[in-house]
Amino acid sequence: MTDATAQKPLPPITRLTKPFWDGCREGELRIQFCNICDRPWFPPADNCPRCLMDDWEWRTVSGHGTVWSWIQMHQRYFPGWEPDEYPITIALIQLEEGPYIYSNLVNIPAEEIRCDLAVEVTFHKATDAVTLPFFQPRR
Amino acid sequence: MTNPEQLRALQDKTAIVGVGTTEFAAIYRDLDPERSAYDLGRIAFREALADSGLKKSDIDGVIVSRLPHYGRMCEVLGIRYPRFVNVLPGEGRQSGIALQYAALAVANGMADAVACIYGNNGRSTGARYGGEDRGASTQAMFEAPFGMTSPGAVTSLMFRRHQYRYDTPVEALGQLAISNRRNAALNPNAVMQQPIEMDDYLNSRYIAEPLRLFDYCLINDGGVCFIVTSAERARDLPNPPVLIHATAQAADITPVYVADDFWYEPMSRIADDLFATSDAQREDLAFAQLYDNFTPTMLFTLEGMGFCEQGEGGDWITPERIGLRGELPLNTGGGHTSESYMQGWALHVEAVRQLRGDCGERQVADAQYGLYACAAPLATGHILKRDGA
Ligand SMILES: [Zn+2]
Repeated sequence: MTDATAQKPLPPITRLTKPFWDGCREGELRIQFCNICDRPWFPPADNCPRCLMDDWEWRTVSGHGTVWSWIQMHQRYFPGWEPDEYPITIALIQLEEGPYIYSNLVNIPAEEIRCDLAVEVTFHKATDAVTLPFFQPRR
Repeated sequence: MTNPEQLRALQDKTAIVGVGTTEFAAIYRDLDPERSAYDLGRIAFREALADSGLKKSDIDGVIVSRLPHYGRMCEVLGIRYPRFVNVLPGEGRQSGIALQYAALAVANGMADAVACIYGNNGRSTGARYGGEDRGASTQAMFEAPFGMTSPGAVTSLMFRRHQYRYDTPVEALGQLAISNRRNAALNPNAVMQQPIEMDDYLNSRYIAEPLRLFDYCLINDGGVCFIVTSAERARDLPNPPVLIHATAQAADITPVYVADDFWYEPMSRIADDLFATSDAQREDLAFAQLYDNFTPTMLFTLEGMGFCEQGEGGDWITPERIGLRGELPLNTGGGHTSESYMQGWALHVEAVRQLRGDCGERQVADAQYGLYACAAPLATGHILKRDGA
């Protein structure tokens, strides 16, 4: 079922998540940190999941992490990717600061990917509004 | 660990007295876009009620799952004045919880007989279990833009990590899929009965690599019902009562569904609770019905519950050990990969039928105690016992 008009899914941007996507457009990976506990979390939430306080801020992080695990998605659940873009290489990255984030791995052949590979963020402009954080081997 | 004395409060107080399912194989051949989940649920209920020997007027509790609303189900069944009713989300991890709620209600006097009813018309209505539009959810915001979707993909990530840490061979998953299919071949109600061998497994197409088609549950329509009442009352009914001997729940809620320990922590807590309160230990179990939305979930359950050390599941899983004549027969009816995708509900029914000795060619020997377990962010386990064991 190829739908020529289908687009890749874009993230709905909400009041809570806008700073994350603003950061990506500006070439910075930002996540929330608690100003009391000094600890980060992701995905975004309205309070610190540790102390439950609202005193938090978005901070730019290193963009460094490791591949916790990765898969190649063959099933065409989303029609927005062209047939020749499959399989999609999807990774669960553990950021140096602790939280996990799903992303795509780029600039590396599948044969060279392994768990615990050191990676860094690289930004990919999807639309004027959305820039996606991908990851590549750390240089 | 939980206090075993408190957990023991439920021990052998309640029983499953009636089970019913739709005909999975027959319905699979007959796609019907207008088939409703309620139609499937009501067929299963009618069968379970007849099986139990109870009258409809005896049923004063109804728990439904995957069925959108308890109201419509009760209306269809003409159950107007139940005193314990609710709906659980249509997630597989809820099947064990439905049994727990029914047992809690009956043991504490909030109901005399609870019907737990499930209806799934996913195949006929085109459910794909991936790629859904999830609005402004975390999935839509931080997973779908990268093509990440589906429970199978999450399980595949966990299995890849398990392979990396423990050198787990994919053939271990193949053995689970092959064993399920072998059992299904002895189950006339199973959707997939054609035997498979390791070559078939290894040649099946990737869905979310490293997981293949044969690692995946089926997508099929069906309904399941089980009826729970007190052990005392169960002894006056026609079938041998199957007692809810021990049951436990544990959760590991992470933002990414994935558990970095392969659910070792919740599954080991459940095992501790079950075996601390049960008369039976691991070697006394005649079978285990392990939730197998995807084959790695069985591997994680076996390790977490201490049937082998963590990381040794790949070697532990052998056809001799897990087959119907093995030391721990697994998913004796064919499981989700071969019998039916009833999200744990049909695994409960299979456990009851094995403990009653009703399983014909696939009957395991000396079925006195049997295990159900589901590894998931919200995990459950029960030891069921044939009355008098
Ligand atoms: Zn805090």
